[in-house]
Amino acid sequence: MSLLSVKNLQMHFPVRGGVFYTTKAVCKAVDGVSFELKAGETLGLVGESGCGKSTVARSVVRLLKPTAGSVVFEGNDISNQPQSALRTLRREMQMIFQDPAESLNPRHTIGQILEEPFLIQKMGTRAERAEWAVELLKRVGLPPDAIFRYSFEFSGGQRQRIGIARAIALKPKLIVCDEPVSALDVSVQSQVLNLLLELQRDMGLSYLFIAHGLNVVKHMSDRVAVMYLGKIVELAPATELYQNPRHAYTKALLDAIPIADPTQRRDRQLLRGDVPSPINPPPGCAFGHRMKHPKWEQSVHMDLTLKEITPGHYVQPCPCCT
Amino acid sequence: MPTPLLEVHNLRVGFQTDHGLLTAVDGVDFTLEAGKTLGVVGESGCGKSVTAMSLMRLLPQPAGRILSGEVLLEGRDLTQMPIEAMRKIRGNDIAMIFQEPMTALNPVQRVGMQIIEAIQLHEPTTPDKALKRAVELMEWVGIPAPAQRVNEYPHQLSGGMRQRVMIAMALSCHPKVLIADEPTTALDVTVQAQILELLKRLQRETGMAVILITHDLGVIAETCDDVAVMYAGRIVERGPVHPIFANPLHPYTQGLVRCLPKLDHPPKTTLPVIPGMVPSLKDMPAGCRFATRCPNPHSTDVLDTRQPWKECGSGHGVEACACFASKLSAS
Repeated sequence: MSLLSVKNLQMHFPVRGGVFYTTKAVCKAVDGVSFELKAGETLGLVGESGCGKSTVARSVVRLLKPTAGSVVFEGNDISNQPQSALRTLRREMQMIFQDPAESLNPRHTIGQILEEPFLIQKMGTRAERAEWAVELLKRVGLPPDAIFRYSFEFSGGQRQRIGIARAIALKPKLIVCDEPVSALDVSVQSQVLNLLLELQRDMGLSYLFIAHGLNVVKHMSDRVAVMYLGKIVELAPATELYQNPRHAYTKALLDAIPIADPTQRRDRQLLRGDVPSPINPPPGCAFGHRMKHPKWEQSVHMDLTLKEITPGHYVQPCPCCT
Repeated sequence: MPTPLLEVHNLRVGFQTDHGLLTAVDGVDFTLEAGKTLGVVGESGCGKSVTAMSLMRLLPQPAGRILSGEVLLEGRDLTQMPIEAMRKIRGNDIAMIFQEPMTALNPVQRVGMQIIEAIQLHEPTTPDKALKRAVELMEWVGIPAPAQRVNEYPHQLSGGMRQRVMIAMALSCHPKVLIADEPTTALDVTVQAQILELLKRLQRETGMAVILITHDLGVIAETCDDVAVMYAGRIVERGPVHPIFANPLHPYTQGLVRCLPKLDHPPKTTLPVIPGMVPSLKDMPAGCRFATRCPNPHSTDVLDTRQPWKECGSGHGVEACACFASKLSAS
């Protein structure tokens, strides 16, 4: 059984304006996303900015209440649970944010930050909580005396380690990582990625791993889902996706990665234009529409649910892009 | 051998702070020929941007100043240039584009006006002609429907289009050198590929030289002729792009190339790392600054004396720390 099962998730935001602040349009940030995540597995989520990756992440941990669809975590649909039930849920699922400087309270010591999850869950005595905080710091490779210091005293990589320590405090089963290394330098990035892999091996964690660095996602993930304008267009095992992309958007995305090897300079097919706005998206396959593909019109009246073409490899079956 | 367009000799830049004078750039040398692209790569805080700002003489005042060294643009030393003359050089001879075009553009002025301003500052022309030129420039940098776009505000454009506007402004007076400070860091990979391709095309058409500052080795490998690897305010290795990637000599460059997750790596394996962190500017060793993170065994002497620069043929040079210098002479 999968740990997390997301079915037809939709997250629509009203766009308001005018004198009476009426709803002028609907921004379909996430529009029908389905995927499964098994225990101990990492699912990577890639796509250009504005494609809805972060909205998916926030809906999964219920920082946002989905407009429609279901998010089934360990057999329970959490998409509709009341706020009061979420506290126990968050023992099981945690989140790591992109900018550790902004996600750590600057007025709290690292000790206070790491003890807070236990405090909220009413776990342990004061002495136990302090002891656990020190253990967490050791676990992520920071000195124990850090509990007395503040987040600004640490470098970006160390702050991200604190963010990770806080996320693993309650021994969750799922951690949603939203661009965890995008703000870090390459030499620090690999340190943090190694830590995440090590924690996954030791604690049996599942990750929903979001990043725009496609090489990072490839390295971290078992399976990868490619999002475009609120929808998943392709989902496959990581190696398979990178070796054998089927959807035109996946191909374009992979083709755009700069390769750190000057002998491999290549002429690439450049993608023209930008991601269209998720307010009033085009009907049918949005990418075919962007590329002005002659077969795009056929996709308008089609069922664009992902189809399994080879075992584990799902792709949106539009005639314009596959 | 052609005379270089731009020569930087022993550039040192310092900032007056509460902790005293901190040297952010400590003896940087490089040369740049017309039509070539020099990539400057390094981690945040290594002095890449400070170097660029000193070339433009745009260091934050009064804290920052050039302590010593020379920046020769076609033989003229920019560090000794009076402010008025320097204003003519900026834009006309050296231009710069920045990482985040949204903060570099004026949010309450139409983009066309901003390009016109850049044109009119450098060449006296009528408003009509300047507008016509602005539209031409926007078309040249690949902005669709430029006649309409001149009247739009920066927030109406996407990130990629904003960066194109920045490039149009920078190139409005045909500079000989373009400094691009992390021009694609804020952009998506697909848009990054468009902008890099655009810069290459414009360079072919104008013959300008480009200094491309980035932390992304992939971008360096795809666009640059030469690379300078900076670490803690110094260039530790410099040379043509092929040998730098194929045969990096400095342990820092080696670590940087290795620790990148590559597409052909087996997934979910432990990545090589560079342990530790860059030392703080406050207690920077006088000698090899990488020694505290260096995997090679070394004596503490290397921390105390500046390690010699060693040329290894065909322009490939390295700050030859004692911990690996012996291997260099052997090979």
